[in-house]
Amino acid sequence: MNLHQTTRRQLFKDCGVGLGKIALASLLVGTKDAFGSPAIDNPLLPRQPHFPAKAKRVIYLFMAGAPSQLDLFENKPALVKFDGQPIPAEVVKDQRYAFIEKNAALMSSRFKFSKHGQCGAELSEMLPHLAEIVDDLTFIKSVHTDQFNHAPAQIFVNTGSAQLGRPSMGSWVTYGLGSEATDLPGFVVLQSAKGTSGGPANWNCGFLPTHHQGVPFHGKGSPILDLVNPPGIDARTQRESLDLIHSLDQRRLNAVGDPEISTRISAFELAYRMQTSAPELIDFGQESKATLDMYGAKPGAASFANNCLLARRLIERGVRFVQLYHEDWDHHSDVAGSLRRSCGATDKPAAALIKDLKARGLLEDTLVVWGGEFGRTPMVENNAVLGRSKGRDHHPQAFTMWMAGGGVKPGLTLGATDDLGFHIIADPVHVHDIQATILHLLGLGHKKLTFRFQGRDFRLTDVAGEVVTKILA
Amino acid sequence: MRLLTLIILILCHGLIGLPASVQAAEPAAPPIDFVTQIQPILKTACYDCHGPEKQKGKLRLDSRELALEGGGSGPAIVPGKSGDSYLIKRILGEGDEDRMPIKRDPLTPEQVVLMKAWVDQGAHWPDHANIAGAAIAKHWAYQKPIRPEIPAVKNTGWVRNPIDAFVLARLDKEKLSPSPEADKVALIRRVTLDLIGLPPTPAEVDAFVNDSSAAAYDQLVERLLANPHYGERWGRHWLDLARYADSNGYEKDRTRSIWPYRDWVIDAFNTDMPFDQFTVEQIAGDLLPNATPRQRIATGFHRNTMINEEGGIDVEEFRYKAIVDRVQTTSTTWLGTTLHCAQCHNHKYDPITQKEYYQFYALLNNADEPELNVPSEAIDQKRKATLAKIANLEAGWGAISKKLATTRPAESQEAWEKVVAAKSAHWKVLEPVKFSRNYGGSIAKLPDQSLLFTGDNLYRDEYKLEFKPGDAKITAIRMELLPDPSQPNGGPGRSPSGGWLVSEFSATAGTSPLLLHHASADVGKNPENAIDGKRDTHWVMTNGDAKPHAIVFQVKDPPSITADAGLSITIVQNYHQQENVGRLRISVTSDEGDIRVSGVLADIESTLLLPTEQRTAAQNLVLRDQYLFVTPLLATEHKKVADLRKSLPAYSTTMVMQERAVPRVTNIHRRGEFLNLGAEVTPNVPAVLPPLAAGQPRNRLTFARWLVSAENPLTPRVVMNRTWGLYFGRGIVRSAEDFGAMGEPASHPELLDWLATEFIQRKWSQKAMHRLIVSSATYRQSSVVSPALQQRDPANELLARGPRLRVEAEIVRDISLSVAGLLTDQIGGPSVFPPQPEGVGAMSYSNSGWPTSTGSDRFRRGMYTFLRRTSPNPQLITFDAPNSEGVCSRRIRSDTPLQALTTLNDTAFVEAAQGLARRVMVEGPKDDIGRATYAFRLCVARSPDEKELGQLLAFHSEHLARYREHVETAKLVAVSESVKPPADVDLPQLAAWTTVSRALLNLDETITKE
Repeated sequence: MNLHQTTRRQLFKDCGVGLGKIALASLLVGTKDAFGSPAIDNPLLPRQPHFPAKAKRVIYLFMAGAPSQLDLFENKPALVKFDGQPIPAEVVKDQRYAFIEKNAALMSSRFKFSKHGQCGAELSEMLPHLAEIVDDLTFIKSVHTDQFNHAPAQIFVNTGSAQLGRPSMGSWVTYGLGSEATDLPGFVVLQSAKGTSGGPANWNCGFLPTHHQGVPFHGKGSPILDLVNPPGIDARTQRESLDLIHSLDQRRLNAVGDPEISTRISAFELAYRMQTSAPELIDFGQESKATLDMYGAKPGAASFANNCLLARRLIERGVRFVQLYHEDWDHHSDVAGSLRRSCGATDKPAAALIKDLKARGLLEDTLVVWGGEFGRTPMVENNAVLGRSKGRDHHPQAFTMWMAGGGVKPGLTLGATDDLGFHIIADPVHVHDIQATILHLLGLGHKKLTFRFQGRDFRLTDVAGEVVTKILA
Repeated sequence: MRLLTLIILILCHGLIGLPASVQAAEPAAPPIDFVTQIQPILKTACYDCHGPEKQKGKLRLDSRELALEGGGSGPAIVPGKSGDSYLIKRILGEGDEDRMPIKRDPLTPEQVVLMKAWVDQGAHWPDHANIAGAAIAKHWAYQKPIRPEIPAVKNTGWVRNPIDAFVLARLDKEKLSPSPEADKVALIRRVTLDLIGLPPTPAEVDAFVNDSSAAAYDQLVERLLANPHYGERWGRHWLDLARYADSNGYEKDRTRSIWPYRDWVIDAFNTDMPFDQFTVEQIAGDLLPNATPRQRIATGFHRNTMINEEGGIDVEEFRYKAIVDRVQTTSTTWLGTTLHCAQCHNHKYDPITQKEYYQFYALLNNADEPELNVPSEAIDQKRKATLAKIANLEAGWGAISKKLATTRPAESQEAWEKVVAAKSAHWKVLEPVKFSRNYGGSIAKLPDQSLLFTGDNLYRDEYKLEFKPGDAKITAIRMELLPDPSQPNGGPGRSPSGGWLVSEFSATAGTSPLLLHHASADVGKNPENAIDGKRDTHWVMTNGDAKPHAIVFQVKDPPSITADAGLSITIVQNYHQQENVGRLRISVTSDEGDIRVSGVLADIESTLLLPTEQRTAAQNLVLRDQYLFVTPLLATEHKKVADLRKSLPAYSTTMVMQERAVPRVTNIHRRGEFLNLGAEVTPNVPAVLPPLAAGQPRNRLTFARWLVSAENPLTPRVVMNRTWGLYFGRGIVRSAEDFGAMGEPASHPELLDWLATEFIQRKWSQKAMHRLIVSSATYRQSSVVSPALQQRDPANELLARGPRLRVEAEIVRDISLSVAGLLTDQIGGPSVFPPQPEGVGAMSYSNSGWPTSTGSDRFRRGMYTFLRRTSPNPQLITFDAPNSEGVCSRRIRSDTPLQALTTLNDTAFVEAAQGLARRVMVEGPKDDIGRATYAFRLCVARSPDEKELGQLLAFHSEHLARYREHVETAKLVAVSESVKPPADVDLPQLAAWTTVSRALLNLDETITKE
């Protein structure tokens, strides 16, 4: 066994603190390292799932702020009937609310609902583009969560715990499956509208090694921080500088024998490759006008539409987990007007993404997930002090998500809520169940994908979670 | 060698559950060590079902006794006979029964080989490795360390102090020899980086190399320990544990001011405050007798928890989470114990019950969390001078107003008095006889009969007050809101800006509710909302102004109240944020008529209704002052004073702990859920550890003293282990945060106990221990490693060589700035905003912006970079700085392409390259060889060898030639807004050296402690 291999093994042993050392270094698939041996044991190299997978990668459209299921997916005639009347106390029981009183009045949706596609899924008029592809989607109308404040709830959806410090879903997935991207990170985060309540904890790698951390790409300018050479340094100078650094590092490695130096040499080489490949990634020049129009993407804009197109380009390059955040759904006031804005920004691109993936044959092994961190109340939120009226408050008891692609039954609707849309009456699906199901579709057992930290095996689904078998294709 | 690697592999697989598979190999049977080789397999594969929580098939495998006894199927292990051992049969899947473990991957062939060999060798299982039952109470870490004998070694010449004897004894056992001492250049760079976190200058290197005296190294160490940068370097490690940050965290993530605590830490290290005192002041400085402001600043340690200010939260829920964080931080930092595992249920592996968790929690659950003005003589003096000026001006107001009133008699004091008197009533200020609020927190009755609300500031609070107004007919009730320096912005409300809100105000005489109507208030929106019977409409004043205000309610059809009936008042503040009233006073009147708010205090109204001759001198003075403060005659004067007041310098503030007079009640939270309360508990420490001092109050102070009592077996070990880890890259116990049953065994247990006892013998002096460690032959070894040693001991667990480690995130920055000659030498002070890539803050929810520092603040040490929790500085995070969300007892050390992009392209490092080039051209020799050598030495201390020099020179001349042809490019490369070129510089030369410097700053060696 050579020195190089020894050190990699050692790094595994150091895991919990030191596995990160291995880094993305050996992503240079097929290359030889400083000792002339092929790179092995790399945690980001693609790995076999626990069992055959239906999906190879995920695009997660995180609708941060929590969209109103009652104005998009849930047609509730009873709300029209009882509009303006206080919600009965026996419905609310001891649920706490963030802003409203327990006896707040019910409010019906201001939007028309109609049925679409073969499956007859009902959508409000706010989602005309999604309506065109309902037969490709799987709706879950009975998702519920434990958290009812934004930051903890977003972190809960992503990490399975409202406590900080746990790894996020994307980190778990690259930990389990590695990544097929050779010169991009395995887990990429894209954001539009504004920053998320949960912040970087949403894509943190927790106690997993650092290279499993989600890497935020920026919509404007350079997608990765510090990707562009400093003023006056052209590609040639950069290459020559790297050659000099490489050569001096190599000389030091020969002198002192620390294999860490070889890891650093590889990291610099991959950095250089990222510099050359990322501009190509974000260059929409190769996309047809029809494609750009379908998404509503405009080169150079920081928009959800651009991010959807970028997501497709990322997975085409082997990125394992792409998460898009659109933080503009917290409609405490004027839910109708606000939805026009948020749906206006997201409906067309999200539908385009599905159409585009399908047309390219990517949808069958790509899982697309759409959803927020909780739902919104059937009761109205009015608050003169805050200048709020006709809004909806936070509702952890029930909300709607949809999935499409790799391994889910298209055209299916699972779960139902009561006449007021308050409680779930059929097929409840907890956030942990969603997480278990996503891992399952990727061929990962949620109880099997564990990491030992501080004497305990941690997993994404904490101590719960059941795969939602009813939606599996 | 192959075998050793194999075992490591197997161990790793067991320990960390990596999904990677391992290769099969032929069996082997050297002596098997249970603790390091077998127990990890049992822990991973078996204990979930056959451990402390569950005993499926009545089988338990976490103590030897129980494993031998076996379960429903008889003995699990027959020592010496793997073939007859049921455990082995089941892991092989022999017979009709399922292969174990059932729901997991089967053991790897290597693990099976190890298990069999272990049973065949007699299933040796040391007592201390038993987890089950009482055995764990005897776990080594819970026993007070006994000072070990210093082992005898053959090579006594190598031993510089007892540390070396312990290390060498182990090396002898392993048949390894120590490495030779590092050369002097490597040594001074290593010890300088370790002690002050900055590289040595070439002059310092030369002085040390040329000093051939025996004391040279010791003198160097003394010089470094006395250097104030030592406090920064070691203080920053402490801040990792303290989870220091400059913002509150969560969605809103507002800026906070707690840097005076950081200054305190730096100073405590520099003055070598003994660790026991260092502990007591941080945990309970406010409880020390006659606590000084500095001791109170120290309590900022536990104020570094996050604060959620998202709308609609329950403040108490997030206070609960903050205490949970404090429990975890305390137990990790001092006790190396995973106490937090017992938040939801009894600890699965260590002897800590859930009840004990909440008893520990109770010790930390009795503080209010105010801000403290940091005393400053400079500010005192400035304020004093300004206040004197103000007093002087105000003293002249009487004369000025009199003079002006002669021409504007309508605005004289007499006229003003008449106007206000017409709006006044005879108010009687009531003394509150009983008062309470919904939640805990203090209510103090002040001499003027007002009530001051401090401490917990929860949303939806409700105040209940009772009075004995005597026989009266109450026609109106008045609530005055009074300013107070203890309130945010001076009050009178408790919102961050001193604002407030009243949802409902109601009064009852005896048992009959009074009908209130005609609400009037001098400020705020919708006073009538306070009596409309609706809890979700409010009288609101968004911002306070540190001035008194009032609201008056008239009583409809006022009943006569008898003396014994009493008056009770309820004030409901029903809102999703902290908008409570901070200080209030109630008065009543029996006057008839349309009684409204007048704009002056109740006492003044009463005075005004007195005939002039009946007023006392004191009352007259109050009247006159009130007039002078409001009369339009003095508008110009008022403005002058107001401007002066605005110019008063503010004290810096910092966040501190303040013990509450009335203790909070602590309950068990079932399943760790905030709302799910179980039995009440009293404050205490876990029974497995020594008890709190008898006869002392069970408060934070007694607890703090307990943490550092001579009886505590954990604290000195945990602290020494962490310190060791910072020098050598791993602790003697690698799991620095877990010394419990599931923690890892110590590599050098006797050395750890020797260090722990030595630490106490040296009166908890951290400098003494640093001196000891860096003076050891162990530390002074060369870090050059042969392939054979690298293979034998890749993690340097056995210490047959010196440490070679990439420096921490902050020091990556510090080295670059330091060698570039750009580093600002200032120690302490508020955080700064060095350049960071555009758009970093834009994608945080708060989008708070980044006011990039200019001038000297642009080049401060990395530890002063403003730490916004939701948008941490990318350079720091990329190089593994902690995110400040919770305690961090050891950092990850990763090596990623994003790091390379940072040091290659980030503005801070580009400026450093420009600075280094400028320094080389200005300070260095004038020839290229001299310059290249100087630049190289600045970065890595040693001189380049011939080949390295040749490469640098070739690179330089090639780029120089290019820059001579493209002077514009040269300018772009070499010059920036913040790094100006020297006068008359040869720009192509400067650019060529900038390019060389940039390469040097990116060398592995530059950012590595060798």
